Amino acid sequence: MDFVRNFPFICIMLAMVSGPVSSVLSGKKAGRLSMLVVSVCGILSAVTLVYTLQLTEPFVYTMGRFPAPFGNEIRAGVFEALMATFFCLIMVLSLIGGLKYLKTDVPDEKKNLYFIMINLLLASLLSLIYTNDMFTGYVFVEINTISACGLIMIRGWGRNILAATKYMVMSLLGSGLVLVSISILYGITGHLLMSNIHTAVAELVASKNHIEPLIIAVGLFSVGIAIKSALFPFHAWLPDAYSYSTCSSSAILSSLVSKGYILFLMKFIYRVIGSDVFKMTGADDVLFLFGIAAMLVGSIDAIQQTDISRMIAFSSIAQIGYIYMGFGLGVEAGMVASAFHILAHASAKSMLFVSANGLSEVSGGSMNYRDLRGSGIRNRSAGIGFVVGSLSMVGIPLFAGFTSKVYFAKAALGATTSKEIVTLIALAISTILNAMYFIRMTLSVYTPRMNEHYEDRDFRPGFTYRFSMFVFIIIVLVLGILSNPIFDWISRGLSQFS
Amino acid sequence: MNWFLLMPVLLPVIGALNLLLLRWYFPKQAVADNAPRFKMAVRISTFCFVLAAGLSVLAIALDGTFSFRLFDLISDSFPIYFRADITAIVFASVAAVMWLLSTWFSFAYMDHQKNEIRYQLFSLLSLGAVLGVCFSGNLITTYLFYEMMTLVTFPLVLHEQTKEAVSAGMTYLFYSVAGAFLGLLGIFFLSREASGMTGEGGSLMYRPGGFINVSGDNTVLLTVLFLMLIGLACKAGMFPLHGWLPKAHPVAPAPASALLSGNITKMGLLFTIRVLYFIVVPESLSGTWVMNALLALSLTTVFLGSMLAYREKVLKKRLAYSTVSQVSYCLTGVYMLSQVTLLGAVLHMIFHSIIKNLLFLSVGAVIFTTGKTRADEMKHMGKKMPVTMTCFTVAGLGLVGIPPLCGFISKWYLATGAIKTEIPVFSWLAPVVLLISALLTAGYLLTVSADAFFGKDEAANATAVSADADASKASDTAEAEHAEAGTEKAVSKKRIFLLTPLVILAAAALVFGIIPNPLSDSIQEAVDRIFMIIR
Repeated sequence: MDFVRNFPFICIMLAMVSGPVSSVLSGKKAGRLSMLVVSVCGILSAVTLVYTLQLTEPFVYTMGRFPAPFGNEIRAGVFEALMATFFCLIMVLSLIGGLKYLKTDVPDEKKNLYFIMINLLLASLLSLIYTNDMFTGYVFVEINTISACGLIMIRGWGRNILAATKYMVMSLLGSGLVLVSISILYGITGHLLMSNIHTAVAELVASKNHIEPLIIAVGLFSVGIAIKSALFPFHAWLPDAYSYSTCSSSAILSSLVSKGYILFLMKFIYRVIGSDVFKMTGADDVLFLFGIAAMLVGSIDAIQQTDISRMIAFSSIAQIGYIYMGFGLGVEAGMVASAFHILAHASAKSMLFVSANGLSEVSGGSMNYRDLRGSGIRNRSAGIGFVVGSLSMVGIPLFAGFTSKVYFAKAALGATTSKEIVTLIALAISTILNAMYFIRMTLSVYTPRMNEHYEDRDFRPGFTYRFSMFVFIIIVLVLGILSNPIFDWISRGLSQFS
Repeated sequence: MNWFLLMPVLLPVIGALNLLLLRWYFPKQAVADNAPRFKMAVRISTFCFVLAAGLSVLAIALDGTFSFRLFDLISDSFPIYFRADITAIVFASVAAVMWLLSTWFSFAYMDHQKNEIRYQLFSLLSLGAVLGVCFSGNLITTYLFYEMMTLVTFPLVLHEQTKEAVSAGMTYLFYSVAGAFLGLLGIFFLSREASGMTGEGGSLMYRPGGFINVSGDNTVLLTVLFLMLIGLACKAGMFPLHGWLPKAHPVAPAPASALLSGNITKMGLLFTIRVLYFIVVPESLSGTWVMNALLALSLTTVFLGSMLAYREKVLKKRLAYSTVSQVSYCLTGVYMLSQVTLLGAVLHMIFHSIIKNLLFLSVGAVIFTTGKTRADEMKHMGKKMPVTMTCFTVAGLGLVGIPPLCGFISKWYLATGAIKTEIPVFSWLAPVVLLISALLTAGYLLTVSADAFFGKDEAANATAVSADADASKASDTAEAEHAEAGTEKAVSKKRIFLLTPLVILAAAALVFGIIPNPLSDSIQEAVDRIFMIIR
């Protein structure tokens, strides 16, 4: 057995262990440790990715060499390794981009608490990506929820606590549904390991036994994950949670937390019940409809916002709609497009949150678009980051958003005619809506206030901030221009799923 | 040497970067005050790079057809691919020449305006994007540069930063994004149709004569093509997506409005030609409802545009409406899908570009010298600004289509070609609408010239009388200065910038009208190549 096979497990354990260790460290040291752990996990995942690319099959790692059902299994293929690498990368960039704001937003005595949450979040995300066991998946869904809650309310404002409470209530409802669904599945199949459930479900469907409980389980699971990842109409908790928390938190929450759940749903569809059975239950049509509705409603809500971070938060709802629409198309290509969109959206959205905070910093801390006028000139790196993020969101060629839009459209051309037409029209309308609010905001960011001169520019963003902006821009451009190999990896990874 | 094809796109971009470098190099105070040395450096650098881009186009034109594949954008069937065929060279040379003249003109005109460096920067970038659209060799590359073009021309519309300009800019952007997305929708469907094709430029590479046969009963594809062509015609200002054009073009500074009207609109035309003649087999579309509907729309636009121009009082807006009408002449020729009308359309594209640049620049010269913007304020202008108004009149005559000016040639091809096509109704309706529109054109342009040369300017007379009354007090020199205010002589230092482009363009309008053959022959060759493959 190659040593590399231990890496996914090492990553998860590293993240889990560093949590408790952080609790005895000072805030600063905890921060350093946490960033180190995230980077190390990223590097290890990248090595895993390179390793899995050379294998034809994904490898299964049994913890402690105990075979299931006693031991716990981890399964790593191209897709899992790619997602893990990418998540670590985005996380570390969001952290160093928001480092300055963490200092001011988070009280000193709570700093190490914040980094404990970050470490636990990383552990839960990695486990959701790698796990081969439904119940382990559920446990880490809960850990994910708790740590996300901590990230939201760490600022300690009344609004944060309210937002965190909202998030907690909705999220627990969602995880409750997921738990019920897993129990039903356990009841009718007698297994918790994904591959075992898969074979059992196939037998059940072939023998036409327990079809109703199966449909209910699929429905409950989809709804539960939909609530947790803020699919329309369950999105009420999202805008407050994202826009009132500190910079790194909003960036991480919007780009990674909801995506972790979505990846779990993807595993559920492919690895647990199989995409054919999923289609048979009709859940894909429901997800498709809600996805389309989310694309439009999210954008329309975003247009009405005057607050830049709320606008970005509402745009997240629309983007999550894109992802569910891809699930709902009912073709493999749609799933690949959704997976690519997870990458495209995560990079652009976290960049937008980090740059919005940079813009607000030079505008007296206000997020209102009137106060933000001219901030793109005052804080150059944040301005450029915001423009690149906006262009990607609108879907201008050469940026990541365009590529995923093309993939969605290509996938739609393979789906049924009605879905094809609805998707293309929805893509068209949502493009125009996206352009409306992002371009308006970009304009106001670059329109100087009256009688304001910028010749004596005294503000200069810190090195870490500029570095994270720079890397974010590179990622968005790479996803936009050199999407070909990444796309191949995703489709290879997904074909290894089933 | 194939990489040389990148030069027309890269040189303007490098020029724009060089401007940024200049701003960084000069002391902050010089930049803030727009010191003469800084201004001079910006202008020389801009001009050199526009000239270099123009020369690179010339070099490509002399060297003949070649192609260059840059990298794969999405998959190997969607590469970024450049190709220089005759169509590309024609559109690119027109753009390069117009940019050169308009940039030269802007060196005087931009004295009025703030932030000249930003204007020159985005003007250079727009040139790069336009040349990119011209030289792209497949649909996805065209789409890429088309979107880039929208984004980099947007600041030109916004340049004056008045409330009106911002609202016009937003309108421009929404229409353009909507239009471009309709185009993208079409590209998705066409890429499915073309999935079997392979070539150096990917599946959607341009091939003269097209390769996708559209059968009449494929309703989905026909509808999508219809929407796509409507979306592409948005940039060309065709009804029903023409609303942005009369708002956006006049608010830009005059040299920019000239380019927007004269050249950017033509990129919508080029894209349409690329789809209709290089992707879809034109003969498979002729006679379908799509073409009839598009012809009806374009002819409506021809008429509507001239009517609205006739009613408009502000000169620049009048010219913008005229663009709406005139570019639809070209679109009509393209939609007729016949050899002669396509030739007429391309010729009209060139001639309209010359004439519309000339018109906008001469109005710009009037605005620069006198500040007058309305048509009824042009009275007596012929005496104050003889060269400008003569050029304006030449352009007006050319646009109406009076021989021996160039507009006549292209309209001749359009009208005779339309009659030859034997499309029911449109074959006779099109020439009729063209004639009515020409009449209206005479109504809205030549009246201005007539006013300028022969109209009595009562206000000017009144000031002259009061000046006479004051003459006893004023000294001779002061009187002379007063008489010269608002004439071409008053801006004599800038005359070389203001008037040279006008004279060159007017001469071009005349020369192409008298000897069109060298030009029309080379376009004929390109058109023949398209239609030969069909047969």
